[in-house]
Amino acid sequence: MSAAADSLAHAVKEQEEGLLNCVHCGFCLPACPTYRRLGDEADSPRGRLHLMRAVVEGRLDPGAEAFQTHIGRCLGCRACEPVCPSGVEYGNLLELARHVGGEARRPSLVTRLLLRVFGTEWLARPAMFAGRAARATGIPALVTRLLAGSAPPRGPRLGLAMLAASGPMRGLHAAPAGSGSPRPGARVRATVGLLTGCVQAGLFSRVNQATARVLEANGYQVVPVEAQGCCGALHAHAGDLEAARAMARRNVEAFEAAGVDYLAMNASGCGAAMAEYGSLLSHDPAMRDRAAAIAGRVRDVSELLAACGPVRGSAVRMKVTWDAPCHLVHAQRVSGPPQAVLDAVPELDVLPLAGATECCGGAGIYGLTHPHLGGWIGGDKVRSVLESGADILVTGNPGCMMQIGAGLRLAGSEVPVLHLVELLDESYRRAGFYAGGTDHGNGSRP
Amino acid sequence: MIPGRLTKELARICGRDHVIVDRDRLLVYESDALTAYRHRPGAVVLPRTTEEVRRTVQAVVRHGLPIVPRGAGTGLSGGAVALNGAVVIGTARMNRILAIDAPNRRAVLQPGVINAELSAAAAVHGLYYAPDPSSQTACTIGGNVAENSGGPHCLKYGVTSRYVTGLTVVLADGSVVKVGGHGREAPGYDLVGLFVGSEGCFGIATEIEVGLLPVPEGVRTLLGIFDRIEDSGRAVSDIISAGLLPAAMEIIDGPTIRAVEDSVFAAGYPTDAEAALVIEFDGLEAGLDHEAERATRFCFRAGAREVRSARDEEERLALWKGRKKAFGAMGRIAPDLLVQDATVPRTTLPAILKGISEIGNRYNLIVANVFHAGDGNLHPNILFDRRDLDELERVEHASKEIMQLCVDAGGTITGEHGVGLDKKHHMPLIYGPDELDTMWGIRRVFDPGAVMNPGKVLPEETEPSPANPRREPAPGELVGAPAPA
Repeated sequence: MSAAADSLAHAVKEQEEGLLNCVHCGFCLPACPTYRRLGDEADSPRGRLHLMRAVVEGRLDPGAEAFQTHIGRCLGCRACEPVCPSGVEYGNLLELARHVGGEARRPSLVTRLLLRVFGTEWLARPAMFAGRAARATGIPALVTRLLAGSAPPRGPRLGLAMLAASGPMRGLHAAPAGSGSPRPGARVRATVGLLTGCVQAGLFSRVNQATARVLEANGYQVVPVEAQGCCGALHAHAGDLEAARAMARRNVEAFEAAGVDYLAMNASGCGAAMAEYGSLLSHDPAMRDRAAAIAGRVRDVSELLAACGPVRGSAVRMKVTWDAPCHLVHAQRVSGPPQAVLDAVPELDVLPLAGATECCGGAGIYGLTHPHLGGWIGGDKVRSVLESGADILVTGNPGCMMQIGAGLRLAGSEVPVLHLVELLDESYRRAGFYAGGTDHGNGSRP
Repeated sequence: MIPGRLTKELARICGRDHVIVDRDRLLVYESDALTAYRHRPGAVVLPRTTEEVRRTVQAVVRHGLPIVPRGAGTGLSGGAVALNGAVVIGTARMNRILAIDAPNRRAVLQPGVINAELSAAAAVHGLYYAPDPSSQTACTIGGNVAENSGGPHCLKYGVTSRYVTGLTVVLADGSVVKVGGHGREAPGYDLVGLFVGSEGCFGIATEIEVGLLPVPEGVRTLLGIFDRIEDSGRAVSDIISAGLLPAAMEIIDGPTIRAVEDSVFAAGYPTDAEAALVIEFDGLEAGLDHEAERATRFCFRAGAREVRSARDEEERLALWKGRKKAFGAMGRIAPDLLVQDATVPRTTLPAILKGISEIGNRYNLIVANVFHAGDGNLHPNILFDRRDLDELERVEHASKEIMQLCVDAGGTITGEHGVGLDKKHHMPLIYGPDELDTMWGIRRVFDPGAVMNPGKVLPEETEPSPANPRREPAPGELVGAPAPA
């Protein structure tokens, strides 16, 4: 057995129950976006688990083409987990398999480069600045419009379109941003620290600000959390567990120091990763319990809002449809709270979306590493959004916002993509909740 | 491995991406949902049309290789396992519903359509597809046709063969044959009836016409809780004897209850009970309450400690989810399981259940029972870990004894999972040489060259041939072709 196989064998030993739990029943097959499209069982959760077990049993080398291809082709959407009667923790096993696969064979340059940028602050900041600057020129939006409908969304075209799609919806922020301080008479319900994130802070600062405002309007006190950083989700998904663990340690310390009741998440990918810090750091005796304690306080912003109603705002007469991010609905099993938030917006017309819980093909950097399949899956999502008849797509994760937004733009559609809190924020703004206050910085207040 | 020339030919027919020959990739096809049998296929081909299937069959047969059809690989008898480097023809990409003819209550579909998705598509017309195997969210109609699948509601509604009205079939010689169709009784021999349940040995169905039923007006679902499993068996027998006709009656035993309650499909079965009996009545609203009341009384009389009634559709679905996902949830108890499928006369249920429990105790094995009690169709799941060789041996012995127990009670070796690889050696337990000869004869009419799913259903040593002259072959009678390489 090679060293890498040995390493998976070792890692899986601890997860053995998890892997052995799979009795091969096949109930996961229809839930898998790659299996549904390709029809090859090696591209199904059961098939991938079978390959992992073959590596553990020494029947397959983790550097082998089959292992690399099929483990690599997984979106990591975890739609297989809620349908698994045996409760196989597929997401954890996938990260381990990628880790081992990466040791056996180096990941592609694109993958390594992107992970490096996200994981390193002095690289991420200028990269995000450059992204914002490029977005501000309007060139990505223009190019995207010119290229619309010309070819399937993939490659550099997809990158430009994603950048264009990260911008705010026109007309939404016409009113001056105000304070989200608790309305007079409201008591402080709990303190929360907002994960400001890497992509959110870089390209979606408006979503961070809206998150803080709507939370405060519902009685949460948003406490600034210094020294926090990227959550490490992308690194863990790609199998770079060491980098992910380093980021997790840093965040555990940062949020401990802030002493908050809850960690508020407006990126479900980050939320899912942080909710699993306990298992990510389970090998580290010094951090294990602390990580588990922090993980236990992670909440999606929709959960925090739903826990207190949320407060209703003013009417927003729009036709919207909700796309459930995989890492919210499958990984964190949060499905009711976003509905409660939509319900708090009076006169909002929420239309059903076919395949709302299926992956959009964004999946971190999937669009770049698997342009064909990512484009296929993304194209199906765009089609179902257009067929829903909605004027606005609402979702809860920046990656999905950019992926679906880019797909829509490249399909020549004008349908904008909003984060759930942006919609509630607009409703509150119209209700005059923020009148007369001061604006926020990046989701925290001095 | 298959010859390079054949690989090229198959790639030309189905597209390079849909022909799998890499040995490592083929690993995932080495078993179906019964993992005790593992054989790596020579190749896997994923065609999309009848024409592609036809040309694939011709090409493979020309190269002298055997063929194994495969749906979603959820079968429990090893039927989709490829012996001797056979080429698997998978139907996963043949997943289109071709037509739903609502006024005539029928649908035409490709074999790779998932059972539950047919019902979902028919629901907008107020219709559904009745046979509901527990794997219905994953298994395909093509696989259902091959296995003549049942399901909980077959107690009242019958199995797959009752709903298949027409087939387009690719035979071993590459000919495409249409049998039945248009929902009417076809004159002549009932070839549809012959084909349904042939376990991939007669050909590959590439288009399937099925009948649909209107969604029943009302439904009542009860849950009886018992402290002794035999009592639940008695309740089932009493309810049927009294002339009631529930749509389904399912027993879930203690170990299974505890595995399910531990899973995401927790149904609220009490974990200290030794049996839960799900009873469902459906049909016209009028009379349903009366039937449910009578069944409740029979449960109490047999010793139920409690009988619950699902208050709404949500509770009803939860009760069913626990039952239908039970097989997969067994992974929480042990990594491997061997599930049997014997069917016994209902009146013998209490005694058989007791006997199975004794066999389990004697071999120190966990046997979890979850089954279609109304049909007397047992599913004892023997749980084990294949890395423990001693345990593996005990499993084999226990399995054989359970089978013998059921046959001795006047039962049969399989109710719905099919014979496949797993139970072919048990066939002589229930059939004599003449019956087996007849089956061989029919099989060789469809597949004279022994290329369609060889090594399944009938034990090779029972095939009449010059080398195996149990009786004189008549002049001109087909004899067994040489075993494929």
